[in-house]
Amino acid sequence: MTEPAFFILTALLDAPRHGYGIVAEVAELSRGRVQLKIGSLYGVLDRLVGDGLVELHREEAWQGRLRRYYRLTERGRHALEAEAQRLAANARLASTRLRERRNPITGTPS
Amino acid sequence: MSRLEERYRFVLRLLPAAYRQEWEDDMVAAFLDSMDTGDSETTAYVMDYGRPSLSEVASIVSLAVRLRLGGADAPPRSFAWGQAVRLATLMAMLAHAVMVTASIAVTLWLSGKIAWLPAPAVEWPLSPPSNIWHTAWNLAGYAWLPAYIALVLGHRRVAQAVALLAIVPPAITTAVEQATGDVPLSVSPWAMRLIDVFLLLAMAAFHHGAPPVPRRPWLLALPIGILLVPVPLFTIQATTPALRLLDWPGLSCAAVTAAMVVHLVVRVSRRPPRTLPWSLALTLLAVTTLALRTATLPDYSDQAQRTTLATIASVEVAAVIAVGVPLAVLAIQALRRLPSIPTVAPRPTTPS
Repeated sequence: MTEPAFFILTALLDAPRHGYGIVAEVAELSRGRVQLKIGSLYGVLDRLVGDGLVELHREEAWQGRLRRYYRLTERGRHALEAEAQRLAANARLASTRLRERRNPITGTPS
Repeated sequence: MSRLEERYRFVLRLLPAAYRQEWEDDMVAAFLDSMDTGDSETTAYVMDYGRPSLSEVASIVSLAVRLRLGGADAPPRSFAWGQAVRLATLMAMLAHAVMVTASIAVTLWLSGKIAWLPAPAVEWPLSPPSNIWHTAWNLAGYAWLPAYIALVLGHRRVAQAVALLAIVPPAITTAVEQATGDVPLSVSPWAMRLIDVFLLLAMAAFHHGAPPVPRRPWLLALPIGILLVPVPLFTIQATTPALRLLDWPGLSCAAVTAAMVVHLVVRVSRRPPRTLPWSLALTLLAVTTLALRTATLPDYSDQAQRTTLATIASVEVAAVIAVGVPLAVLAIQALRRLPSIPTVAPRPTTPS
């Protein structure tokens, strides 16, 4: 799973969101690190919809435009959970190794 | 519709029609939301005078490349085009990589380092790099070799950066030399640089979704290509002066025609889905070489042997057309038999 896909799924965990709502939430979740452009967002979103991880929740008129709200599917939730566990396991592995290689006398990495 | 929306929809036309039908309105809504500044006056100004930023346009271009030149998980037609552009790019890069080794050999011959070959003609004296421009020219061309290897190994951005080194210095050299009158004005170097720029852009087809390049055959193609083309060509040209009339566009025509003939023979025994990308790739190369050959013809007008050169060029053009047209027809027929680009249509799961 790519990083944008991971953040988009995470952004949809708590509530259905429209296109720009996802962009704004991803920016906030990543503390501004992941700034999705619209082309990049839809490049990921179309695949997530195609794979059944995200689905259209509703369409809503707003300022004369139709906003589509997307939500996470059960399959998407499982995929995100599996990815989060994989990343956490990787992070734990690295942290353990880093602690082991820490110099016991000075407390700094050897 | 605001001017900004019009401009954004114009950029979105890069995307396939079927994709736009499903996603365009939503993309426009999201884009216009992103341009909302929160202040109505400023937003109204942006809607009238704003333009999609370069990074927004780049994200659409990148999406268009991914959709039109698809990877392994793309619809068959998009994948066939994707593979065709990737194969054509690899073949063109291979030709560059192979030919730079020939230029090393020619330099060695002109400087008398290859004793077993006849000495170069007196009218071909080796002019040592007289200034920084010539040095830049000589060194820059060699960049095609590492660029090709980087592309085969999957480092697309490195390949593009290195290829840029091979394109820019010769372009500057040509511009300076032609501007100062050191060399006569000619189309050839510009036509070749333009194709190099296309090559650089075509490398975008090697995106994340694209299947990796099979390393072994493409790396092996390098020494095989060197032995098959520049080595015999150089030897023949050194001993038979008449064959020196074959220039780079002419050589490209000959190589593409030979490749198409081999492909047509192989095609008979293989299943169409496997051969289609190759047929399309060779058709793309045939069109490119024809354009290069035609564009460089005016440069013959001030040559002493212009009649002979023009005759040779006509034969080259005729050969490419004779083999290229049937191949193109076969490729288009096979392409039409493939399903066109479908798109995932999101449907609401609850009534709105």
